[in-house]
Amino acid sequence: MKLRILLADDHELIRRGLCALLQKHEGWEVCGEASDGRQTIEMARQLKPDVVIVDIGMPHLNGLDTTRQLLQHDPNFKVIVLTITDSDQVIREALDAGARGFVLKSDAARDLVAAVEALQNKRMFFTPRVNDLVLAGFLEKGHAISRNEAPDLPTLTAREREVTQLLAEGKSSKEVAVLLNLSTKTVETHRSNIMRKLNLHSIRDLVVYAIKNNIIQIQVPELRGTRESTVA
Amino acid sequence: MAVRILLVDDHPIVRQGLRTLLEGRSGWEVVGEASDGIEALDKVETLQPDVVVLDVTMPGMNGLEACRLIQQKRKTSGLEVLFVTQHDSPQMMREALDAGARGYVVKSNAAHDLLEAVEAVSQHRVFTALARSPHA
Repeated sequence: MKLRILLADDHELIRRGLCALLQKHEGWEVCGEASDGRQTIEMARQLKPDVVIVDIGMPHLNGLDTTRQLLQHDPNFKVIVLTITDSDQVIREALDAGARGFVLKSDAARDLVAAVEALQNKRMFFTPRVNDLVLAGFLEKGHAISRNEAPDLPTLTAREREVTQLLAEGKSSKEVAVLLNLSTKTVETHRSNIMRKLNLHSIRDLVVYAIKNNIIQIQVPELRGTRESTVA
Repeated sequence: MAVRILLVDDHPIVRQGLRTLLEGRSGWEVVGEASDGIEALDKVETLQPDVVVLDVTMPGMNGLEACRLIQQKRKTSGLEVLFVTQHDSPQMMREALDAGARGYVVKSNAAHDLLEAVEAVSQHRVFTALARSPHA
């Protein structure tokens, strides 16, 4: 029987590339493609894939919260997180969320097949940097990972994190209400609770909080190479 | 008309995605791939493509610099450059066109815009489309 993979990334160009890479592997099939976190959860529940590959920086519901919700629904889901950065905080959050694989997008052509194979064989797959961090945390603290710099995310409920992401993406309370199938009044209550809990005073503060805590990701392209440009 | 295409991007997954989008089109052929500007210049020389699909941000030599150098070769061939980039900015688009590119597409919209863009630039027509305000 074929290994069934659900692929989630908001960029179709990337999905096409990943899909072509995975389909070359005999015995694997991409059973579905999703372009945001909410769609990923719906499709995972319907399709029951063997492996879910999730981009962290997706709109509406980011990849980390998608992973949390997937595993809350069914702890047997096997999730590989795709990311553009392997900062300590992102690694920590991905592990906390329950991901069993962690692959940098820039290395996906090299690592993704190995990661899926690892999960297929009931193992985990992490980049060397993740392994180093886990080992360092274990040796220093006797825990899997040091939590000295852990973000203050646990103060928010899953629903509050969803609302935070949508507000930080620039949606109004009314738009959030429609997306989450809630009343506008309920969203306003969530919004007040979020601001109070986090001691924030404006939407700008909320956006900064969301970026700092990887609830939304801002990718600012840089121009590398021999000649610098006025637009970086 | 047959169109020979060279793909230039430092991320193999992006090159694979571009290849997948382009390969379905009858008469178009992806003749090669390069992962930076220097390799692109070499392959332009050896493979003689009609269209170079070029990323802006790359190590070694970035796409703008490569485009300027490709333009020097263009004087003796029908070669055209189409940028496919994550820079969703009018300033960068202007820089790309100033560097001699005939087309500019944003990666987040590439699945939608790429075929039309390649068709246009291969016929020496301009195609530019930012993510939120497409216009050909």
